[in-house]
Order: sequence, then structure tokens, then C-alpha cells
Amino acid sequence: MRPVAAIALAVAIAVTYQAPAFAYLKLGTRVGTRTVTLKWSQLPIRYFITDRGTAGVTSTQLQQAVQAAFATWDGAATAEVSSQFVGFTLTNPTSGDGATTIGFQNRPDLDRTLGATSFMIDTVSGAIVESDIFFNTAFPWSVSAQGETGFFDLQSIAVHEIGHLHGLAHSAMGETELRAGGRRVLAAEAVMFPVAFASGTTLGRTLKADDLAGIGDIYPATSYTRGTGSISGKVTKGGKGVLGAHVVAFDLRLHTLVGGFSLSDDGSFVIAGLSPGPHVVRVEPLDDGDIESFFDATLNVDINFRPQFYEKTVVVPEGGGTSGVELKVVAK
Amino acid sequence: MIVAAVSSAARSCLVGLLIVIAWCLAPASAGAQGYVPQDIPRSGNLEISVGAGWLPGSDLGTASADETRNPGTGTGPFVLFQADTRTESAPSLHGRFGVYLSRSVSAEGGALFSRPDLATRLTGDAESAPELTATETLTRVVVDGSVLFHFTGASFGGGRGIPFVSAGGGYLRDLHEKNEVAETGHELHFGGGFHYWFGQGKHRAGVRADVGVSRRSGGADAIDTARTIPTLAGSFAYLF
Repeated sequence: MRPVAAIALAVAIAVTYQAPAFAYLKLGTRVGTRTVTLKWSQLPIRYFITDRGTAGVTSTQLQQAVQAAFATWDGAATAEVSSQFVGFTLTNPTSGDGATTIGFQNRPDLDRTLGATSFMIDTVSGAIVESDIFFNTAFPWSVSAQGETGFFDLQSIAVHEIGHLHGLAHSAMGETELRAGGRRVLAAEAVMFPVAFASGTTLGRTLKADDLAGIGDIYPATSYTRGTGSISGKVTKGGKGVLGAHVVAFDLRLHTLVGGFSLSDDGSFVIAGLSPGPHVVRVEPLDDGDIESFFDATLNVDINFRPQFYEKTVVVPEGGGTSGVELKVVAK
Repeated sequence: MIVAAVSSAARSCLVGLLIVIAWCLAPASAGAQGYVPQDIPRSGNLEISVGAGWLPGSDLGTASADETRNPGTGTGPFVLFQADTRTESAPSLHGRFGVYLSRSVSAEGGALFSRPDLATRLTGDAESAPELTATETLTRVVVDGSVLFHFTGASFGGGRGIPFVSAGGGYLRDLHEKNEVAETGHELHFGGGFHYWFGQGKHRAGVRADVGVSRRSGGADAIDTARTIPTLAGSFAYLF
């Protein structure tokens, strides 16, 4: 087995500095002098379930919820991914044992973390060789199909964490408000938004256009690239590039929202996975969540600008891209 | 998604057209004709016409950029912003070539060229992004064919004016700005108008007026499934 290095991530963090302008925020790692997208090189993704339940959820129910969450991603029309439940295990979901394990863990120290995903990566190729997920039993869980008031829907959180397991980072497609004790989500249009909906809802079980574009970017289905297109350009302020701006394309025909980020100092962005046709482009600062949920804390992400629209309708060609979109933002 | 309905302008055109048809079908007075009957276009005559018209704008509906609301923070979807799209009115240029199959029936092919704007008004942004109208200019070409029925018995102006009704269909091609994307569609049209010929003999010039409705599907403004727009045009015609 080739030497590997462990990279433990409490939440998904994207390595973006000097990285190519990807269409969607994906997890990456440094391999030598280049940044490589984290992805599984071999499918199906084989995983174990820790044979331990929690109050209100047996290990069998845990396995069923996780399997359903995997099936949600496996069924994405934009991507070719697959998974396989291998069996139950007594080991905890920890890195370094060579097996992808998903289970409950009691982590009262992480009082704002419902679940987390960690990775073991082949440092030569950048391929994921192991990924573990734990669900924090410091919170109450439910597997009810309709949701259960006061309990977090296990399948919804599993869909989010398994998105990370596949290599997706967080999406900024959502709105929050600051309240005492933290942020409250007002709305989200991606299961990969970093802040969960309130307990009792099962809305997080369904992938949105932004999620489908992301998974399709990493594991594209044969027809996906041919049938979609992209928008690329720059976000600038006072003539200089803006790093970390959230750029969203709204499809005027399908009424879907897909986002991307400006991932370099010159403000370049690419939004891929878009259906052909006219789109409206909007840019906003990354102020609906902690920047560290999206980017490394050392990066100079600029959030001092007003949201605004691009002044032209942008038409996405099938199997191609429209370039030259420059969003000139102004300070707040 | 709001389905485009026939606009009030289109309905007015339809009413006007029905009046023209009713007038054409009414018995005409033979004594009113001063035009030499054998000069009425007949089988084998050819006609070319060029002219200009006006394509009214059409409302393509409102799209709401919705996000799934967190239960307990309100009801209904969270509207990030709204987008109201329309095709703006624009002048058009057209040309036709027709052949008379008989004194009453002719067939023609034509092409229309216009450059309407596709405008999307962006409002109601949840984070107060300034309202804005995002636009692009389309290059639109319609190539069509029609059959015309000429009401020679209802001529006016001493027989020089001959009303007609027409129907046909065509191919629509919209080229987006920057010439990077072309979108195609189809159209069906129904309308009417009149010729007014000057001079006598086989070769003569005249003017032509057309009014009608066009039902279009596909094309760049296919934000909705199909839309119906009124059409209005005037031409210089030459018969030979």
C-alpha cells in the first residue's frame, strides 16, 4: 500500500488559494506543487456502519438512513457514483483503520456540530482512500419519515455529510440571520449549506440544483458535460479582483440556482453544470456563514461589497461556456 | 410559470381581421369596379414585396428565485429576488416572393429580420441588491411560407384594392448577443390585409398592408412554452 497521510477535517474545508477556478466549491489537497480535487478513484464506495445506536435510533435504523442518503447521491442524474454497504462493525468512525466507517459518537465538546467527516488521502495521487462520518449523540436524532419535532433528521444530516464524503465542500446557497448564540438559517437551496435547518424537518433529504451541479463536477455522468454549459468571468472592485465572492446563476427557464466562487486573487470564477439557456447572474459577499466554513482562514476573502446583478442576460450554450462576465462590485 | 396569453393588442387585431373577412364575404357591387378585370393578378403572376413592420413586445412571465425556507422562520419559499422577462418591441424588415396559383389563391415565401431586446427586470432582492434590467439583443430571423386567398369580388378603390386573408408557418432562428448561441423554433401565423395596385398591365407596382397574429414556440424567448403576438407590416410590392 502506498504511503498515505491523514487529514482530519471537523468540517469541510476547501483548499482554494492559487487553485484553478472550479465551478463548484470542492475539497482539495496539495499534491506536490499542485492542488488536486479530492475524489474516490474506485467505485463503489464501500462503507461500514458502527453497530451502536442512540436514543430513538437503533443501529439498523442508522444503517437504513445512511443507505438512503447514499442512494440520494447515487441517483443523481448528473453524476456517476455508487456505494456499497459492507456490514456492521464494532469500531468507531475514526481515521486510519483503513475502513470507511459511519456511526454515532458522543461528542459533547462539539456542541454546535451535528456531524463531521474526516478523510484519509493518498498523498501521491490525491485520491480518497478512507472517509469516516460521525453523528453527534449530544443531539437528539430521529428517522421518522415525516420528521419529529425537537429531533434532528438523521437522513438529512447524512445526506450532507455524505456529500463531503464524496468530496464536496460547503455551498453558500442560503441566507442566515445573526441571533443570540449564533446564526439561524432563514433559507437554503443546497443540502451542502453549512448550517442545518431546524430540528423536525426532513427537507435536507432532497438534493438541489446546486448540489447536483457540484457532484456532477467531480464525478460527471457521460451526458452531463455534453448537455450543460458554464459561465465564467471575474468579480472586481475598484479594478482589483475579489477573492471569495459568491456568484450565482439563476436559470430563467428552470428557475434553479447554481453557485460558484471567485477562487483566485484576480477574481476569476466559473459556474459549470448549467442548463443551456438564459441566466441572470448575481454576486454577493460570503456573509451568511463563517468564512472558515468555506475557505482557509489565512485567505484574504473580501466581504466588503454590496450584492448586485450583472447588467446583461447571460446565455449558456449546450456543451460550451460563456466567458467575459465581469461583475464590478462596490464597497458597502 | 405563467403561460403567455393572447394580448389585448392581439385580440384587437383578431377582431379587425374578422371584420375585414366579413366585409370581404359580403356581396359586392359589380358597378363599383373601375379596374379592368383582366388586370387582376392571375395564375402565373409573380409578386415580390419588401417592407417594414413593427413587432410588439411580449410578456414572458415572472420567475421567482426561490430558496427553501427553514420551517419556523416564515411561510412559503424564501424569495431571493424576482425576474420579470419580456421581449421588447422592435421594428422589422421583411421580404416576400409569391406566385399566383389562380386569381384568388397565391403562395408565397418570405423572410423577416428584426433585433428585439430580451429584457429581464430584477427586483425585490432579499439583500437589497440594486434593481436592474438585464438585457441582451437578439438577432431574429423568421423564414416562412403562406397561402393567401384574395377576395377579388370585394375589391375597392375602383378595383385596385384587393383584400386577402393568409395563413402559414415558418422557422424561427434567434441568435444571441456575441453570436455564441442560436436557438430555433417554429411559428404559425394567420392574418390578412390588402394589396393596392397602381397602373395597369402585367407589370405594376403597389403597396401592401398586413395585420395578423403569430403563434411562436421555441426561440430565445422560449421562457414560456409558446406565445402569441400581433403583427403589423407595410410593404412595397411589384407584380410581374
